[in-house]
This record gives sequence, C-alpha cells and structure tokens, in this order.
Amino acid sequence: MTSSIAFKSFTGLRHSSAEPPKLHSQLHNISPPNYCQRRLQITAGISSPKLQNRNLRVAVIGGGPAGGAAAETLAKGGIETYLIERKLDNCKPCGGAIPLCMVGEFDLPLDIIDRKVTKMKMISPSNIAVDIGQTLKPHEYIGMVRREVLDSYLRERAASNGANVINGLFLKMDIPKGGRGSETAPYVLHYTEYNGKVGGAGQKKTLEVDAVIGADGANSRVAKSIGAGDYDYAIAFQERIRIPDDKMVYYENLAEMYVGDDVSPDFYGWVFPKCDHVAVGTGTVTHKGDIKKFQLATRNRAKDKILGGKIIRVEAHPIPEHPRPRRLSDRVALVGDAAGYVTKCSGEGIYFAAKSGRMCAEAIVEGSGNGKRMVDESDLRKYLEKWDKTYWPTYKVLDVLQKVFYRSNPAREAFVEMCADEYVQKMTFDSYLYKKVVPGNPLDDLKLAFNTIGSLVRANALRKEMNKLSV
Amino acid sequence: MSISMSFFSPPPPTHLLISFSSKPHFTDKTIFFLRPANPLLLSAPKVSTDNGAGISAAIEEPKAEQKVAEPAGSAPEGEESSLGSNGAVADAGVKLESKFVDPRWIGGTWDLTQFQKDGSTDWDAVIDAEVRRRKWLEGNPESSSNDDPVVFDTSIIPWWAWIKRFHLPEAERLNGRAAMIGFFMAYVVDSLTGVGLVDQMNNFFCKTLLFIAVAGVLLIRKNEDIETLKKLLDETTFYDKQWQATWQDETRSSSTAE
Repeated sequence: MTSSIAFKSFTGLRHSSAEPPKLHSQLHNISPPNYCQRRLQITAGISSPKLQNRNLRVAVIGGGPAGGAAAETLAKGGIETYLIERKLDNCKPCGGAIPLCMVGEFDLPLDIIDRKVTKMKMISPSNIAVDIGQTLKPHEYIGMVRREVLDSYLRERAASNGANVINGLFLKMDIPKGGRGSETAPYVLHYTEYNGKVGGAGQKKTLEVDAVIGADGANSRVAKSIGAGDYDYAIAFQERIRIPDDKMVYYENLAEMYVGDDVSPDFYGWVFPKCDHVAVGTGTVTHKGDIKKFQLATRNRAKDKILGGKIIRVEAHPIPEHPRPRRLSDRVALVGDAAGYVTKCSGEGIYFAAKSGRMCAEAIVEGSGNGKRMVDESDLRKYLEKWDKTYWPTYKVLDVLQKVFYRSNPAREAFVEMCADEYVQKMTFDSYLYKKVVPGNPLDDLKLAFNTIGSLVRANALRKEMNKLSV
Repeated sequence: MSISMSFFSPPPPTHLLISFSSKPHFTDKTIFFLRPANPLLLSAPKVSTDNGAGISAAIEEPKAEQKVAEPAGSAPEGEESSLGSNGAVADAGVKLESKFVDPRWIGGTWDLTQFQKDGSTDWDAVIDAEVRRRKWLEGNPESSSNDDPVVFDTSIIPWWAWIKRFHLPEAERLNGRAAMIGFFMAYVVDSLTGVGLVDQMNNFFCKTLLFIAVAGVLLIRKNEDIETLKKLLDETTFYDKQWQATWQDETRSSSTAE
C-alpha cells in the first residue's frame, strides 16, 4: 500500500494540497498483488514511517538563490519549511549574470533585471577583439541582476508560499547517531537568531527538523558538519567602478572578457555592466597571491574605456571549481555553491544554484509524499542522480573548453579567433542561454573542429617563434 | 633632438602617442625606424627584459627610467600629463604603457602592401612581425581601445605559408627519426631472426612494433613529452572522478544498509 502512495504522489504534486487526503484514502483499496509487483520498482519511502499529526520539517540553511528556490518548492509541496539566512540585505559580490532560461523557469519579473546584455567582446592577449552576439535573436539576452534584489525576491516568494524565514546564523548541527530509531530522529540545528528586539548579539536557539538542505554557499558550515570534504576554489576579485556617463554608453548592453597571462593564468578578466556602474574583476585558482597584480592588469587593459572612473567598492569571493566529494549524507543534502555546482570556463553559478535547490526540494517533496512521510537518504540521492544526469554534459564540455583554451596565451588567441566564427557563437549562446548541450549540424561541427585545430596550431607556432626571439 | 625629428616625421598621428612612452623604449624605437632590419632582434629582447616582470615591477620602473633618462635626454612633460589622466582611475599601481608601434602596423592590422617582396607578399615577414608584436605585448600588456581596435586575424596568412615554415622542418625531423629507427630495427630483426624486410611486413608482431614506433616518434618528441602525456591522461579523467566522488559513498552506505 505504501508503494502506491509513493507512485501516486508524483501526480499528487501537480494538484492542490486538497488532493493528498483523497489519495490517502485510496490506498486501503489497493490489492496485495499490485503491492508485490510494485515493490520491485520503488525502493524509496516503502519502509519510511508515516508522520503522525504533522508534516515533514525541512530546514534550508542559506537564503541565496539556492535556498530561496528550495524553500519555495518545499513550501509549495506542503512541507513545513524553515529558511535560515544570516543577512537579509546581503549585497553579495558576484558577476550577476543569469541566463535567459532562468527568467522563464523561475518566473522572474523583468524589473529585477538591471541590464540585458546582448553583445560581448572577447579580447585576446594581443588585443585582438572579437564581437559576439550577432546571432542572438531579438528576445534573447543575458540578464544582469543585483544579487540583493534577486535573493530577496526569491526569499519573499518562498515566504508567501508558506516558508518561515528566520534571520539567523547557523552555528552547528546535531546529527542523530546511527542505530535503531535513527531514521526518524530529528536533526537539531543550533543557530543565533537576530531580531530587532533582542539587539545586536542575537539569541541562541535550536530547531528540530527532519531533513536539512545546505544552501549556505562556498564556505558552507553544513558541509563541514557532515564532513563533505573540501574542493579547489578560485578567488574572484572585483572592483565596482563608476565611470563617466559617456563611457557608460559603450557598456549599455555589452560585457567584455579579457584573456591573457597578464590578466589571469587560468581564468579571465571581465568588465560587466551593472545598474549604474561597471564591475571590473578577475579571478584565479592557482595564483591567488597575485590577484592584485591581475586586477591591475585587467584595469590596464580596459584603461581607455574606464578612464576617469571612481572605484566605489572592492570585493572578493571564492568560487568552487568542482563538487565536494560528498554532496549528501543521510538526510542532509548540499545544493548550489555549497555543493560546488559552478561551471568551469565561465564560472557561472546562480542558475545552477537555484536549479539544484529546486531539484533537491522536489526530490524531498516527492520522496515524502508531499510531506506526509519521513524521507531517507535514497530519496535525496534521487536529486543527485537527476542533477548529474541532466547537467553532467554541460559541466564536462565547459571543463574541456577550459582545459583546452585557458592553458596558455596561444590557446587563448586561438579561443578568441574561434569566437569570431558565427557557428561557434550560435552554439555558445544556445547552450548558455538554454542550458542544453545541443549537438549541431555534423558537417559544421567537423568544420569547426578543423578550424579549432588550425587556430591552435597557428597560435602555438607563433609562440614557438616568440620563444626563439627571446633567446 | 635630430633623432626625435626623424621619429615624428613619417607615420600617422595616432603614433604620436609614443610621446609619453618611457625613456628606454624611446631610444629603441628610433633605432627601429632608421634601420628596420637588424636591430629588431636587439631591441625586442632588450625591451622585454625591461618590462618583463609585469605590473609588480611598477615601483622599480620609474627608477630604472630615471637612470636611462639622462643619456636619452628627451622631454619629461609627456609623462606627467599621462600621469594626470591615469590618476583618476586608480592608485599609483597603474604604470605608463608605451604602445606597440611599427610603420607596417596600420589601423589595427598589418598593412600587407608594405610586405611586398618581388611582387608578392612576403608571408614570412608578416609572421615575424606578428611574432614580435605578440612578444612585445606579453611583456607590456596594452589597454585595448575602441578607437584603434586590433582586427588582425592570423588566418589571412595562407595555409601553405604556415606549412612551409612550421610543418615542413618538423616533418623532416620526424621522418628522419622514423627512418633511422626503421632501418636500424629492420637490420637488427633480420640479423637475429633471418626474416627479410618483406617477410617482416607480413608478420603481425612486426606490424605492431612498427605501429608503436610510428606513434612513439609522433608523440614523444622531447624527453619531457612522456611526463606531459601522463599528465594529460590524468587531466582528462580528473574532473569525472571529482563528480563521481559522491557516488563512491553510496555504494559503501547502501551495502551496509542492506
């Protein structure tokens, strides 16, 4: 009987919350043969006990895009949701670029998008500049958002769907020890609650929940509590510069990417337009100590275009380079930056954070039958399975691109040369904007492969000559 | 003074930006224009060593320039004005850049009409010029500007020019190695087993050895290549391993749960 609930609950998600009681009553009518037959297919939730008198309690630690999306989906699914965020007006340092599909998938209102970037300029080490974006259709763009605006919008939407937003700092978590009864024992979260009444220091509180989603970013404490392991990370350093209006016109809907050893040995420098200023920054994994030098070089490369600008803010943040060794432990799952879901090559993380938060929440809602029963690790594993299956090709392709094209200056020159090709631009934007690795026309792919090899060979040949010069 | 006169006369106005260049480059550029052929090899390395260390050498740079300034004796006003315009952007870290200048580099690309030799374009000279430009820029990164963008594309140099210059010498070397190895091994195998060359070609084991020899000659060209190949192999699978790490967990825990 329990299996049929798990089976039917998938359709139950589509209906309003009035439905589940009806399904619940139906289960008594299911005959034993069906039960035995379905047992082979479904392993999740069979032995999970039904929760008495209450719904499943899930805490989401961290209120960024991942946390907000997760909390919204959980709350909509009928689960008692707690969203713990330490700074509700946090102005996060971030590139702030979101792909077109995010606007549709997450129903984002267009007024939270400050700018629609429709042109990009790639600039090679020898200052060969290539414009990309001619293949974009009129309705396609890369949205630039302010993180504080996006994050608070998602959080408020979660709250309006029934999530309890708590302004507090997560300290640690008591994990139920193994053994009998541990499948239902709650996780005890210790946090400091900040509310205006008590004052600055905050009040220590605890909260008992059945499952935890760790969405607390690159320095995740939840990850530490479950021993998720470490990852390599890049440091992204950024300066927000307010430039004169006539120079700002150039960046109206254009973003720039600078590549070169002077700018970063393994990443790129950027100039991204924000609401009324530009963000000039760079990043690196292997040479974190030289980040200031790289930043100066980036500013130098963009010098003519940002001349007369004033630096209004300097910020830095870590960017994970790959997922943590353990993204899941019992009933605790990591999503977003905490899990390490940032792509290589472009360093994009906002969309993947929100999507993974949503996917994890969906897995919990499904595994618990809209909050009616306890979940266990296998329910959460389903989220990992779905995630890896859907986005592994994207991550792998970007990893290959980074390995091939960010290796050395000749490789970067070849990269910029390749970007001048229209087919490349179309493929790049299609896969970036819609997050699908689309196999293109095989003949064009072959031509592209040929041209890539040609560019790489030419650039490396030039570099060999350059080495001969210095001797 | 006469040197500076000859400098300012020929090229288009954009190149007057050189006026706020640092001192050592100024003298190098004058030699450059008077006799384009030989001193390029002298001037380019000299220039790169001066600025080789990049931005972090900004503090030492002005001092070095001061020392060389005395013999050159050119005007300092150009430098001060550029300091004024740069100061607004950021702190004193931004150092003065001298732009890459060459009479054949016009409008952000190489002017092919200036590379004529015997009626047709001397592609080798174009390649040399681009190499020098990239070498210069590696040591002295320039700001990319919208007013004179770089639009040079290496694919305008025809494929046969690349092959003649880069592929053919390397191909000759590799074919030579393959031939030496082939002859020697054929002789050794013949003397040891008595199997002649034609019969060796029909033998599967010998064909395998031949395949390995050809692959080895192609892939391993320097001693370091062996290490490089091993690292490449690790690299291709490393990212996959990082993603699979969370699943190693599952097989362990699911086996204990049962």
